[in-house]
Amino acid sequence: MLEYLRPMALIRSVFQDELDGVSQSLVDLTEMVSLSIAKATAAVLTADLALAEEVIATDDQIDNYQHDLDARIIDIIARQQPVASDLRALVTALRMSADLERMGDMSHHVAKIARLRHPDAAVPSELLPMFQAMGNAAEKITNKIGLVIATRNTEMALEVERDDDEMDKLHRQLISTLVDPNWKHGVEPAIDLTLLGRYYERYADHAVSVSLRVYFLVTGKYA
Amino acid sequence: MTTSHESEKATMDTAVKPSSLAQVANSQAAKTPSASAEGTGLETRGIHAWFGKHHALADINLNFAAGTVTALIGPSGCGKSTFIRTMNRMHEFIPGAAMAGEVLLDGKDVYAAGTDVTKIRLKIGMVFQKPNPFPSMTIGENVLSGLKLAQLKVDNKDDLLQECLERAGLWSEVKDRLGAHGGSLSGGQQQRLCIARSLAVRPKVLLMDEPCSALDPGSTLRIEDTIRHLSETMTIVIVTHNMQQAARVSDYTAFFLSDGGPGQMIEVAPTSEIFSRPKDERTENYVTGRFG
Repeated sequence: MLEYLRPMALIRSVFQDELDGVSQSLVDLTEMVSLSIAKATAAVLTADLALAEEVIATDDQIDNYQHDLDARIIDIIARQQPVASDLRALVTALRMSADLERMGDMSHHVAKIARLRHPDAAVPSELLPMFQAMGNAAEKITNKIGLVIATRNTEMALEVERDDDEMDKLHRQLISTLVDPNWKHGVEPAIDLTLLGRYYERYADHAVSVSLRVYFLVTGKYA
Repeated sequence: MTTSHESEKATMDTAVKPSSLAQVANSQAAKTPSASAEGTGLETRGIHAWFGKHHALADINLNFAAGTVTALIGPSGCGKSTFIRTMNRMHEFIPGAAMAGEVLLDGKDVYAAGTDVTKIRLKIGMVFQKPNPFPSMTIGENVLSGLKLAQLKVDNKDDLLQECLERAGLWSEVKDRLGAHGGSLSGGQQQRLCIARSLAVRPKVLLMDEPCSALDPGSTLRIEDTIRHLSETMTIVIVTHNMQQAARVSDYTAFFLSDGGPGQMIEVAPTSEIFSRPKDERTENYVTGRFG
């Protein structure tokens, strides 16, 4: 900051604290979602009912956290009348929270398939590595968007879109497996697995959306 | 005008290159001037202002296209009011004040030798921070006072009176008491009366120096409505400390700042850009309230 502006730099410190609080809440929400997808993946890979129930219950907490965060953002907009980068930060925070909430929903859906098929496993043994890879990709991408939100690093934000290519590649492999004439597990498991693959693929797309919103927040431009 | 900086002015008249004019013209191309507004608008080139030895304003180049509203924003003491007072030659009223540069109204310099200052102020009207109706005059007399002072004649004063009060958004509130004293009106009504008074001499440009700073929110919004309607037929320049007001009423916004030296124009752009994606970090810090 320029020297002659320094004595006045503390103006709106309360507002700045509120903006920082919103950013931290988004990071916290990202961590909740990251934990949720990690547990959902473990539940579906190991047919763990208790873990699946835990993920399903956690979804309400994610929803409530998002509602509280949105209410806080609306209150800040109404009281502080932000403009420029501050307005972008708050409007994009509203949209990021919606994306993160949907990512939580995807984890919830994954856990519900695990619960639906319990005590059987929803994923045949030969496909466990593929879903483990999808779970790993989902966790990696979620952790990265947490960093992107916290640091507002635009280069890292653009990397997330490339990270999503890995998820898309796994999704395409899954579909190829399911439509292969040699598929031996029947229609019902195929439907489950199609949905599971779709949940992971959509999960990663929402993460990309979050990262691109951070890019817009910082630059005022769409990537 | 009297100036202790004649030699310096002469140097600057030739030396000042309004380098930002092209940029301003490009940014202002975003707004199509109102078809109803007469003339080509107002342009300042290399405006400097002094109060004695204090250099208050440096090298201001701005183009106010006809039929547009431009807001001037910036911290107190950055020269906004001084700048608009140079535009209708009110700056020179202050003892020791001096200026340099050109103010072009429809392409003609208002400071050109032989220019009648009174006629300039008829074309470039001004509304001040505090409503200042003539207290001993009626509402009607207040509106028509400019004609009397400038010794202008009109065919139908009643029609002009109604037209000016309607354009100022005051007619419906005072039409039944035009004989009441101007001082009997509320602050917001008095300010609109002053606007109506400015309109009676049919100015091409209206300069407004914090016209709503002494008014309640309702009166402020009525004045803002009036500004939007007036901009269909004239050019308006408004100084305001109210960021939301600048965002609501103006087509373009110019940010002024003093770094301890003379006030400078830091950035001018369509208002939507200034309040969403300002190019200069200092503008961003000011509009977001990080200093000021």
